[in-house]
Order: sequence, then C-alpha cells, then structure tokens
Amino acid sequence: MKSFNVSIAKAGVKIPMYLMLLVFVFIFGFPFYYMFVLATVPGTQMYQNPPHIFFKTSFFENVLALLQDIPFPVNFFNSFGIAALSTVTVIFFCTMGGFALAKYEFKGKKMIFFFLLSTMAIPPFLNIIPFFKMMVFFKWYGTWLPLIIPGMANAFGILLMTQFMQGSIPDALLDAARIDGLTEFGILRHIAFPLSKSGIAVLGIMTFINSWNNFLTALVMLPNTDKTTLPVALSKLFMQMDGDRGGLMAGTFLAVLPLIIVFVMFNKQIISGLAAGSVKG
Amino acid sequence: MVETPKKIAPYLFISPFIILFAVFGLFPILYSITISFFKWTVAGPQDFRGFQNYITLLTSDPFFKGSLRTTFLLLVFGSLAQHVFAIPLAIILNDQAVKGRGFLKVLYFLPYITSTVVIALVFNQLYEQNYGWLNYILENWLNLPKVNWVKDPKAILASISIMVNWRFIGWNTVIYLAGLQSIDKALYEAADIDGAVGFRKHWHITVPLLLPIIFFAVTLSIIGGMQLFEEPFVLMRGYEQMGGPSNAGLTSAYYLLATGFHFNRFGKASAMAWILFAIIMFMTWLNKVVTDKLQK
Amino acid sequence: MRKMIVPILLICVLLTGVLTSCSKDDKSAEGPSIPAYDPEKEYSLSIGCYGDLERAYLAVMETEDFKNTFPNITFEFQTADFNGHHSRLTTVLAAGEATNDIEALEVGFVAKFVEGGGLTNLAAAPFNGVEEGKDIVGFAMSNATTQDGRLVAMPVDIAPAVMFYRKSIVDAAGVSVENLGSWDEYIEVGRELLGDRDGDGKIDQFALPNANDVALTPLSGGKGGWFDDAGKPLEPKDKFITALTVVKEIREAGIDGDLTAWTGPWTQGFADGTIVTTINGAWFGGALKTWMATDTAGDWRVTRLPGNELAALGGTYLSIPENVSADQKAAAWEVIKYLCADPNAQLTTFEAIDAFPALTTVYDAPVMDEGVDFFGGQKVRQIYAEVARDIPNAAVSEYDAAILSIFNNSITDVLVNDVEVEDAYQTALNSVLAIAD
Repeated sequence: MKSFNVSIAKAGVKIPMYLMLLVFVFIFGFPFYYMFVLATVPGTQMYQNPPHIFFKTSFFENVLALLQDIPFPVNFFNSFGIAALSTVTVIFFCTMGGFALAKYEFKGKKMIFFFLLSTMAIPPFLNIIPFFKMMVFFKWYGTWLPLIIPGMANAFGILLMTQFMQGSIPDALLDAARIDGLTEFGILRHIAFPLSKSGIAVLGIMTFINSWNNFLTALVMLPNTDKTTLPVALSKLFMQMDGDRGGLMAGTFLAVLPLIIVFVMFNKQIISGLAAGSVKG
Repeated sequence: MVETPKKIAPYLFISPFIILFAVFGLFPILYSITISFFKWTVAGPQDFRGFQNYITLLTSDPFFKGSLRTTFLLLVFGSLAQHVFAIPLAIILNDQAVKGRGFLKVLYFLPYITSTVVIALVFNQLYEQNYGWLNYILENWLNLPKVNWVKDPKAILASISIMVNWRFIGWNTVIYLAGLQSIDKALYEAADIDGAVGFRKHWHITVPLLLPIIFFAVTLSIIGGMQLFEEPFVLMRGYEQMGGPSNAGLTSAYYLLATGFHFNRFGKASAMAWILFAIIMFMTWLNKVVTDKLQK
Repeated sequence: MRKMIVPILLICVLLTGVLTSCSKDDKSAEGPSIPAYDPEKEYSLSIGCYGDLERAYLAVMETEDFKNTFPNITFEFQTADFNGHHSRLTTVLAAGEATNDIEALEVGFVAKFVEGGGLTNLAAAPFNGVEEGKDIVGFAMSNATTQDGRLVAMPVDIAPAVMFYRKSIVDAAGVSVENLGSWDEYIEVGRELLGDRDGDGKIDQFALPNANDVALTPLSGGKGGWFDDAGKPLEPKDKFITALTVVKEIREAGIDGDLTAWTGPWTQGFADGTIVTTINGAWFGGALKTWMATDTAGDWRVTRLPGNELAALGGTYLSIPENVSADQKAAAWEVIKYLCADPNAQLTTFEAIDAFPALTTVYDAPVMDEGVDFFGGQKVRQIYAEVARDIPNAAVSEYDAAILSIFNNSITDVLVNDVEVEDAYQTALNSVLAIAD
C-alpha cells in the first residue's frame, strides 16, 4: 500500500492537513473537555463567568454528592443492560436481514427495500403515544422490554448492513460455499457475519449509543428513579434548587465514559474488518 | 439438519423485521393516520375534521410553511454540508500514514456522544451576546461586529447549522470510514499502477466506489435533517419561544412537537408528520434518481 | 403497493370507531363508585413530580404528623426534570393511561388540561375539592377550574411576583425602589442604578437583567386575557401594548443588561452585583439564597412591584389522572389534601424548597412573621403573603401556552429587531387567531 500513502503524505499536503486535523480536534473535543472540567468543579462555582477552563479538584466530592441524589449504580446497570441487549439483538437480526437484501434475489425484494426506507421516513415523534398504549396493554410497562424488543430488527440497521454487505461479500464465495454443501444458515454464520465486521461494528456502536442516550422512551416506560436509566435519573438534577450541580456534571461525564469505551472497542473491529477483506483476492 | 433452500432463505431472514413491524409498528402508524383526521387533544377526539388539518397547514397556518423553509435551509447547510467535510476526513483517516488516526477517530466521534446537557451549556456560552466566546473572538481578535447569534433571525440559521454540523460530521465520517474499509483494495492497486495520484485518484476511484454508502448516508441526512428537532429546540429555549424571533429557528419537527405536546393539538401534529413523510419520501426518491445517474 | 390502500383505509375506519367509542367511558370511575379511603388498609401510592418537589414531599413525609396520619401508605416517586416530566405526563394522559396516582403540574401546564382532558374532577364527590380548598388563595384555585366548574388540580404552592434588589447598591445610588408608583418611575430610578464598576468606559452594572422580565407582569403572568370565559377571542390590545411599550422603554433607557436567563453571565450577575434588581416569583429568593448568590447574604431585599402590580410567576398543582384505579383515588386525594391544605405540610414544604404556601391560613403563622437572614432580617414572607392574597383571578384558556410562545417572540421582535409595538401586536394577534380552532 505504499503508493496510497505517498499520495497523501507529500510534504506540501502534510502540514496544512495536520493543521486542519488539529483544528477539528479542538472544535470537536472542546465541549467534551469542558464537561470533564465541569465535573471537577464544586457545585457552587458551576456557573461562574468567565467559565472555567482548567480543572479543579472536586471530582470525588461531586461523585459522592451524586451518589446521594440518585442510585447511580442501579441506573448505570439499567442503562448498560438495556444497551447491551439491544446491541446484541440488533446486530443479530439486522445482519440477517441485511444479508437477505444484499445477496439474494427474490420476489418482492424491491418492495421490501422501499418499504424499509419508508418506515425510516415516518417522523417518530408522536409514535410514543400509541406505542405507550401498546406497552401498557402488553403489560410491558415498567420493564426493559419496550426498549429492546421493538427495535430489534429495525430498518436503519438492516439498510446499513445491506450497504456494507453488498460490497464486502463476493458472490463467488457464496457460490463456492453452496457447492461445498453449506446451508443458507451456515453461510450466514460462517461467511456473512465474519466478513461484515466493519458494518457490524458501526451498527453496534450506533445502537449502543442510541439506546444509552434514549431519554423520552425510557422516561415514559420506566417508573421511579430507582428503576430507570441514567439519563432519566440525571435529569432529575437539572435546575434543582439544592441539587448538586457538580454531581450532575460528574454524573453526565461518567455517563459518557462507557460510550467512549464501547466506541474504542468497536473501532478495532472496523479495522480488523479491513484485514479480513484484504486476505481475499 | 434442516436444509433451507436458497429460495426461502431470504424470506426467513427478513421475517423478524416483518413480524416486529406488524406487531409494534403498524398500530402506531394507523393510530397516527387516524388522529390526523380529528381535532385530538389530551381529552381524546373532539371533532371529526376530515382533511381539514392538512388543508389548514398547507394554507392558512401561520407557522408551518415558514417552518418548512427553515427546515430546508438547515437541511442544506446543516445536514448535507456535513458530507463535504466527512468524506475527505474519512479518506484522510483511512490513510495508514496519518499519525494518531486511532485517537483522532475517537475525538471526531465525541460530539455525537456528548450529552445534550453539556452541548446546551457550551453552545449557549459560545453564542452569548455579550459575554460569549464567539463574539469575544469576533470583536477582540478579528475586529468584526458582534453577531446576535440567537436573537437575530438571520444569524439563527447559521447558529443552528454550526451546531448540527458539529454534532454529526464525526458520525458521518465513521460511516464513510467503515465504507472505505470495505472497498476492495485490488481496485486501488490497479489505479496506482495506472499512475493516478492523490486528489484525482480519490475523485475518480474512491468516491464512485463509495456511492452506495454515500447514497445511504445522504438519505439518512435527508431524513434526519427533515426531522431536525433537538438542536433548534435546545438553542431556542424550547417551547417558550416558538423557535425564536420571526420563528427563525422553528423547524417543522419542532413545530410538530410544540403543536402536539405543548398546544394540545395532536391531530394537527399528526397531519404535519404525514406531510413531512410525503416530503421525505419525495426527496429520497430524488436522491436515488441522482445517485443512479451518477453511477452510470 | 396499491393493493394495500383499501385494507389500510378500512382498518383506519375501524380504528376510528374503536378509539372514539372507548376513550370516554372511563368516566365511570368518578362518583359514588370510588371506594372511600380506609385508614386501616394498606396503600401504595406513586407520585410523579419534577425538580425539587420530591425532596419537599419527602420532608413532609418524614414529619411525625404525617407518619401518624398515614402509617398505612407507602410512597414511590418518579422524578424527572421539568420538561421531561411534563412531556411524560402529556404522553401518558394522551394515551388514555395513568402511571402514577398523583401527578404534579406546573401552572403553565394546567391550562392544557383545564378543558377537561385526562385529570379527575376534584370538585365532584367524594373529593369536594372546592370545599376542602376554601382556604387556598382564590386565584390559584380559579386557574385550575374549568368554565363548567370542574377542578382539575389542587394548588400546592404559588409564586407571587415581587422585586428583589441589592440594598447596598441601591442605597449607594441614592435612590429607592420601594413604593414606586409606575414603571415610568422605575425607569427613572433605573437610570441611577447604572454603573461602570471597573472604570473601562462600559456600563457593567444594570438595573435589571433583561427588559423582557417585565413583560409578563401586566398580563397576569401570561395567564388568560386573550379569550373570555365562553372561549371567544378578546382583543386585549391595551394591556398587550402597554406591556410591550414598557419593555421597549426599558430597553431604550439602556437600563437592562440584555442577559439571557439561566446562562452563565446571568447567574453570575446576581452574585457579583452586575444585576441590581430583578423580578421573579417568591421561589427565586430560595435560589439566590441557596446557590446563586450565597456570598451576598444579607444584602438583598424584597419589595412590591411598581404600581403594586400583581402577578404569579409559577406555581405547582397536584392532580389525579383520570385513569387511576378507583380504589387508589381516595387515598391519593387524602394525601393531596394533606399536602395542600394542612398547615404543617405547607410550612414544611416552604422550609424545604422555598415553595410559597398556597394555603392562606398559614400566612398568619408565626414563622411567616420571622425575618429572613438572607434578606437582612426583612420580613419578606409577609410581603409574599400580601401579594398572594390580592392576585386577581384570571380566566385561563387552553391556548395560554401557545399565546405565551407567540407573545415571547413579539417581545424579542420589539427589543431586538426594531419592530413597532403596534405591528408586533397585530402579528401576534393574527397568529393567535390562526391557531385557535
């Protein structure tokens, strides 16, 4: 891959490029850094002007205050559990569905494709009301189920996987596998899944993050601060008179850390997808 | 071991979606269509209205048409503009010679996962009229007049666009990165042998190969952009203000939610949702037509 | 795709029938079929609230009196932030369900439910809310009462609007903000309150944070005034134009700091003397005391608004969603009654979160006569009570929320975009009429 590198690494392009990257680092990274700073500022000094730029030392006090205000470990567990389950189920069902659309020809395929796309176009805003009605009817109110089951095979996931799989799985390989006697499910398991690591990683990241950050559905479906997810529990502290603002910021920061960890983990998968791809051909 | 014939397999694989949709997706859609024909409040249906809601929205409603215009502008400058940045960024980050790319990738993705609370805080600070950082830079470093970022109707669109770009460029970059990873390396090597270099190579090889992903990412941007709610809502202080002076920041989704949850007119809100749906479908179709043409 | 249209339409028609027929028959939960509250029976009640309310009600539940009155009830809270809570509540009620036995509401949201949607009528038997609430301030009760006499929620706290000011700065300027007769007089005084503390040639001390702070008080805090009791549109040109004109004059006099509420500079302004006076509900005194301006303790005072204008800027209500099961309703009502009409509960809440009592009999309690240290020993509670007693009833309408949003935009238009007051009124009026249906 030397020539690929050379094309970008030409000196004249290098410096402005790194400069631009650096600018973006600052622009994209600053609010996050600021969040970290605020997490270390004592609650009573939170709103000073000019705003803080360097960290202070109250992180652990803030965390303690937070633990008094909300049952952080429980909320964290709820958020994590729901997000993890969502991610696993979504990856499974959407890869399956995406494979169907990417590598098979069948009657009604175009219609399904169109249908999937159109379900994404439906503005989701008002759905919460009939959806809530249904969840009460099924007696799923107060459980994790509304946050996991309905989204398991969602249009976004399927279409995402379709796009990735179209490019990354050669038809020749599939034909060879069939000749060798592999069943369709076998192909799904031994070829489709392994070769789609990049797509799966992206889907996994997106799903985990969206599930974790979901506010309204969690708010409506999970009663009591003791049983709800982290974003909802933290919201209790917004603009509270006596609530510790430092705690809120510390909580917000801690709530984001798992997302970064998940991202880094899945990121490696995206790269290893590259390795798998380059072996063939 | 049961042998699944190749014919049936795709139907099986796609069936979870169909089943889940039939159970969880259908009722909300039908419900939503139904209430759009009524005056519907928290107390339930009040009045059968037929297509009245739709007609009012498209003709005499003082806010809907303006909100569509706002939404379109933000779509172009906030959502679609991102791809202009995201594709080159992805190509750069894909290049193994670039140092620190793992770290950069995480950093660029941070805006997407930063919580709304913090984003609201930071951007309000940034845009504050008299003490905010942006105006400080404008006035003191660049000797330019201050901009009233959140109160001047003309500036509001820029403010929101900046927020949306900031939030999602990294997201799109990650999608394109993953897409780039799946491009067959053999094609690149062939191009190198032919002597294609740098920008031209990317323009003529990489981008066309990325077209399926671009179509997908752009479709997502269209859908997301037409449904844009969170950023304007946070910047324009929620329901108190109807999108700010001259409703400059009132996107259609914002107006939709205000109409339903704040003004208690769910029927009208639902009608808005379906009008938006029609528009989104149309634009997606346009996108497909354009992409197909480009693929020739 | 075309084949699907006919079945879909049929289903819609069916659904229509189903939905319309079943949405109204839960009224059977009202009236004599509600089992009476049984003090021997064990109940478990859930309360939905926002912000500090959980803390306040927990404080009440810790008191001996409460424990003795309700030893048989256990409680659970579902607390979220202000907006989240109300979104959740609207969603739940719009779906025709109920998930908590008691739900708190802010005054701005009560109007939405006033036309009869989703909340139990507390005026009816066996609640008799009007009778039980006879000692609660009239305006608060009327804000939650529909035209046909249904009481949809009970007031638990109110927010009489007053002016807070920094005594040392006002004294130093040689003026007084007490007993001002009108907003014009206030503007005159305001000019004297401007200052340049750091000597850099730019004014950095302002009379008030923002001109738009005064917009709501001539309009009863934004409640009612645009539609009469029968729902016919009024055209309150005079009141509206007066309000906007005052706002404009304040801006033109240059006495406001153009600060946006709840931003860093705004919050800081109370602590460092950038802001000399401000107008807000009584609860704001609590915020100043607890976290916004702790170092300035002793320097703040409270006074009536210019011209003794009366308004309420806030206020909390407790309600019972329509679809709560019948046997829970009686118990829920007993608790609501206690929180709203028991003097001990009202005082405990007041002490916990500075939520001013809605129960007038409490105003004569000794604690109301105490001086408050943060205000230099001033008997501020008497002032709040004075204002509270006199606030006039306002006919709320379900359009209040929409009107407020439109009105806020008019204010910004007048202040920032140089729109003439008359034009702003006309635009607002057209918008209001257009969305009223």
